Amino acid sequence: MKNRSHSRLAADPPSGDHGLEARATVPRRDFLRSTSLGLGWLAFSALAHGRSASGSSLGATGTHFPARAKRVIFLTMRGGPSHVDLFDYKPELVRANGQSAYGDGKFGGAPLVGPVHPFSQRGESGLWMTDLMPHLAEHADELCVVNSMHTDLPNHAPAFVQMHTGSFQFVRPSLGAWTIYGLGTENENLPGFVTLNPPADSGGARNYGSAFLPSICQGTRVGGSQLPPLYAALRNEQQTPGPPMKNISNDRLSPREQRRQLDLVRGLNRHKLERDVHQPQIEGMIESFELAFRMQSEVPRTLDLADEPQSVLDLYGIGEGKDAFARQCLLARRMAEAGVRFVEIASPKGWDHHTLIKENLVDNCGETDRPIAALLTDLKRRGMLRDTLVVWAGEFGRTPYMQGINGRDHNHKGFSLWMAGGGVKGGMNYGATDEIGHQAVENPMHIHDWHATMLHLLGIDHKRLTYNYGGRDFRLTETSGEVATEILA
Amino acid sequence: MAGEEGPEGIGGSTAFDELTFPMKPAFASILAISLSTTVPGVVGEEKPASGDEAAIRFFESRIRPALSEHCYECHSAEAGKSKGGLRLDTRESVREGGETGPAVVPGDAEASLLLVAIRHGDPDLEMPPKAPRLPENVIADFAAWIENGAADPRDEPSQGEGSPDWESRLDHWSYRPPALPTPPEVENDDWPAGDIDSFVLAALEKNDLAPSPDAEADVFLRRLCFDLVGLPPTPKQAAEFSWSRLEETVDELLASDGFGVRWGRHWLDVARFAESNGREANIVYPHAWRYRDYVIATVNEDTPYDRFLVEQIAGDLLPYETEAQRARQLIATGFLAFGPKGLNVQEEEQFAADLLDEQLDALSRAFLASSIACARCHDHKADPVTMEDYYALIGIFKSTETYYGTWVDSENNNGGELITLPDVPGQLTPGNPIPKKKVDEMKGKLAVLNEEDRRRKEAAQKARAEGKDLRENFNEMVREALRIYWTRGGLVGKLAEVDDEGNPLPLCMGTLEAEKPVDSPVYLRGELKSPGETVPRGVPALFGLDPAPPGSDDASGRLALAEWITRSDHPLTARVMANRIWSHLFGAGLVPTVDNFGHGGEAPTHPELLDYLAVRFREGGWSVKSLVRETVLSRAYRQSSDYREDYFQADPDNRLLWRANKRRLDAEVLRDSILAVSGRLDPSPRPGSLAADLKSHSVSLVGFDKDVPSDLDGSDRRSVYLPVLRENLPDVLDLFDFAEPSMVMGEREETNVPLQALYLMNSPFVQEQSAAFAARLIREEDSRADRIERAFRLCFNRAPDEEEVRMALEYFSDPDAAAEVGEEEMTARFCQVLFSGAEFRIAD
Repeated sequence: MKNRSHSRLAADPPSGDHGLEARATVPRRDFLRSTSLGLGWLAFSALAHGRSASGSSLGATGTHFPARAKRVIFLTMRGGPSHVDLFDYKPELVRANGQSAYGDGKFGGAPLVGPVHPFSQRGESGLWMTDLMPHLAEHADELCVVNSMHTDLPNHAPAFVQMHTGSFQFVRPSLGAWTIYGLGTENENLPGFVTLNPPADSGGARNYGSAFLPSICQGTRVGGSQLPPLYAALRNEQQTPGPPMKNISNDRLSPREQRRQLDLVRGLNRHKLERDVHQPQIEGMIESFELAFRMQSEVPRTLDLADEPQSVLDLYGIGEGKDAFARQCLLARRMAEAGVRFVEIASPKGWDHHTLIKENLVDNCGETDRPIAALLTDLKRRGMLRDTLVVWAGEFGRTPYMQGINGRDHNHKGFSLWMAGGGVKGGMNYGATDEIGHQAVENPMHIHDWHATMLHLLGIDHKRLTYNYGGRDFRLTETSGEVATEILA
Repeated sequence: MAGEEGPEGIGGSTAFDELTFPMKPAFASILAISLSTTVPGVVGEEKPASGDEAAIRFFESRIRPALSEHCYECHSAEAGKSKGGLRLDTRESVREGGETGPAVVPGDAEASLLLVAIRHGDPDLEMPPKAPRLPENVIADFAAWIENGAADPRDEPSQGEGSPDWESRLDHWSYRPPALPTPPEVENDDWPAGDIDSFVLAALEKNDLAPSPDAEADVFLRRLCFDLVGLPPTPKQAAEFSWSRLEETVDELLASDGFGVRWGRHWLDVARFAESNGREANIVYPHAWRYRDYVIATVNEDTPYDRFLVEQIAGDLLPYETEAQRARQLIATGFLAFGPKGLNVQEEEQFAADLLDEQLDALSRAFLASSIACARCHDHKADPVTMEDYYALIGIFKSTETYYGTWVDSENNNGGELITLPDVPGQLTPGNPIPKKKVDEMKGKLAVLNEEDRRRKEAAQKARAEGKDLRENFNEMVREALRIYWTRGGLVGKLAEVDDEGNPLPLCMGTLEAEKPVDSPVYLRGELKSPGETVPRGVPALFGLDPAPPGSDDASGRLALAEWITRSDHPLTARVMANRIWSHLFGAGLVPTVDNFGHGGEAPTHPELLDYLAVRFREGGWSVKSLVRETVLSRAYRQSSDYREDYFQADPDNRLLWRANKRRLDAEVLRDSILAVSGRLDPSPRPGSLAADLKSHSVSLVGFDKDVPSDLDGSDRRSVYLPVLRENLPDVLDLFDFAEPSMVMGEREETNVPLQALYLMNSPFVQEQSAAFAARLIREEDSRADRIERAFRLCFNRAPDEEEVRMALEYFSDPDAAAEVGEEEMTARFCQVLFSGAEFRIAD
């Protein structure tokens, strides 16, 4: 019995005669908001409010502040993309290329390595970017590049999990789950949080889990999981097998036959509801069967690219060689368009370039540049970029100095990510690392700050989005987090 | 597949050579060479000071660092110390001062004892003690700071205003020992069937409410069966039941094996039982199932709860009369071994510290509903637990060896061992034998690898000693080291599972005493690089109880801990379990936060009733069955769940228990009920576990195993026997709110999402069971009407009413059907409707 409220015996009086409204502990404004989001949401929302601190309940508009972004597309670049080769241009690093014992023998005497590919200034803003991303460069004036990111650990799995949940240590809900918890879903026929082919390692399902939040907040995985690199190489497979989504279709019954079946389910449920007089759980079950029935057509339709014009497929590069990531990018747009609030996609290969970084960067950028740029173009054409926050981020960056003979090591003290659309300023750099790109020194942005900023863009005060679990109020940003107001458009 | 076919696969694979290796810090140690890079450690980023006032900046740049460097060691919450009653880590505590007076009086340097002390102006008050004076410029900074108003941005770090101070923390309802209260007088003295009812009724009467009438017998029986054995009533039980047979029925259910299945599973939720590691490196625990079977057996035998806890904490240290008893007690300690771990963590010490923390955390939450482990990095923020307390307890686990199995491979850097069980007749040992020839071959390979590794290290050390630049050979060296390291991991792991002849060994997860017990230092801020004073291991004086030292120098202290937890005057142990039992029967605990009895939890709705139950439980020999029996025989439990508008308005959450709660069935009960009704249920225990039969070591690869059903089910046995792979649960458990197996979960979530509906509509499992149910109905009844009636009785323990019969019959005759559908198929579709309906999933 989780759906009970904490405190009082005498609750707000039930308003009106609607069976659902009689859930007396749900304030009326929440009810009104809930109905517009579908009744399934109500069952959950009631639960959420019953368990959370009073401060967390969102205003009548559904947000704490006016939202600048309605949805998020999160492009995760696992492995630690080399910021000093991609988005953090450092003339001093170019100059000091090859110097050992930089700054009095720092870095164990390893030589500094300048960018392994050229940088250029792009767009009217003159944003410095690698030449390896010519398509993305077309969108330079849309990008808000944060150069001062830092995180707590230089190891992949914990840093990847921290990027998603704020904590590398404990089991916590992911960013997407908090978003759904705060805002609910936009399309009642689709899950609110979808992750496409997430990595099976680096925390796996933890990265889209809801932990103690209601499981409706949890990300729905579509497609198999990406295998850890070693297994992928040994098996020559990229993903685990399985359908894009389980139980989404019924091959034994026609839609009409299934409709008849569900009509009887509904009839029996309503009949029971009449006998029980007041049973919000049954209302919720009735509604969830209706949603499920509609999902059966909506989900496959969203996943099916057949109705996309050739020009759009060409834009992304679908149908040309390795196009798995391009398909994901297009799917992300389709889902966002259909009302999925939080879509996450993962780079087709990791950015963990300990060796052969020069060659590997060409591959990684080559596989992702065009589809990502196409996604931005596509969103913009549809007028969606202004309220869709697109985020490109890895769990950390790489060292300005060499590792081995041709690689760079992990660097969590300073790295870069970019955001576009959804209320961020374009064509800007925020924060900075030191002169060689090693450590964030100006406006350092910790993962918590970044999460706080993203929630802010979604209209949520990260300090007020809390959930009481085991007697303690939890939030995504733990006990810190500052919104980087400078980047708000 | 690394780890499994790994040893052979990796060695000869070309794919392996093409890999780009992740270069992790720990590889430096594997390589036994010093790489030319720094090894990044855990570095806390320092934030720029917030606030722009010059005074705050002065404090941040001059005063705080000095306080931190010279004073906090003895005067801060972080260090868990306040010598002379003084803490210097918050604004309030500095100004309030200690036993001798305020340390700082803003604006008045002369009146500020802190300044007197650091100036060594008073021989009795020289700080830092037994040390030279601080540098003059530091003293001058303090003087200037105080003169200028002692600006100090440090709010109380641990608690908000109005929260209890340290002393009053102990003054909390759950830390006072329970005493057997006298059942209160009630007005309606016809109602109570026992003392429980007097407490419930008294609370209702106090609020001018009255209990609900008894539930209908058929509704009650269905509730009772779900609660005690997790299955709907059988036709026989239904036919025989009457109120006059209530006690007999309860006793039959308590005596049946189903009771252990149902209530064992409740405990497995609390024990965060799982058969894989979860977290970042999700490795299978193929032997965890022994603990599952142990729990089910223990519950069925009604082993006293105190004994049950002692076995789980220190079963390996208990005397035994038979090998079977020894085995059982070893298996019990699995509780400490199957928690989620950071297997991928590179730093051995960090891994070990996190493992101990998880053990202490799980144990204290599960047994005491206490968050003791919150005191790892600072004194507990609400409850009376200091860092010293935490590290004294950690010393106990630090002196314990944990056997969790798994072996080193590309995911896992922290392979462990397992405990070999004594040879017990009839003991199940799953696993495939390895031919003797192959065992010898593997041993040979292992020897070669060990030799190769020795030579490799030697060469590297030699080269380094000679000052050679190793960077040129770096990639090759790493590749070679990893080949040896990972291949050896798989060989060692597999050889550990069989005897010399290649026969599988009987193994379990668990704990034994470490070779040499050690005490733990207090790690400041929980950081391993900041060890403070060492504290003697043992149970400290917690919750008003006396401390419990380990007993002897070579004991870890686990036995003492187990005895301390189960001592008869422990204020928490009996209360926590009595509350858990209550919550399983009523749908909510008397303390609603079943896993938190500390200041952060909620107070009991019926404090006296809770104490009554706790004392009865303890004094009745810690018998779970007896407490369940007394509770289900109460009138309170027997109430109808019918809605009453006026009562609902007065008490919408039913905290006063004016009716029974309508409850959703747990995932296992839902699935088992479907199987029971379809006639397919196989009530026999599953030998071993699917997790034990998996071919792969890594959960990431489970999907490739063609023998494993994609829903990880494919069995007709009770759901408690489904594999519990963290992050990769069987569909039915995953979708229907199974307890998150990485956390102590005394209470499950309840969600209602479309994916659940999709499972009921489209999953192969539900479709197959619907067909089986239909076949059963057709076999057992001749007419459509009789089948409908029987189906209702089997599913809901009642006959359908007229309206329901009408709806059902209408469904069967579909005048617009495109093609004729056979009776069996139509019946199957109808059966699926019943499985999908709300009533199937709710106990009224």
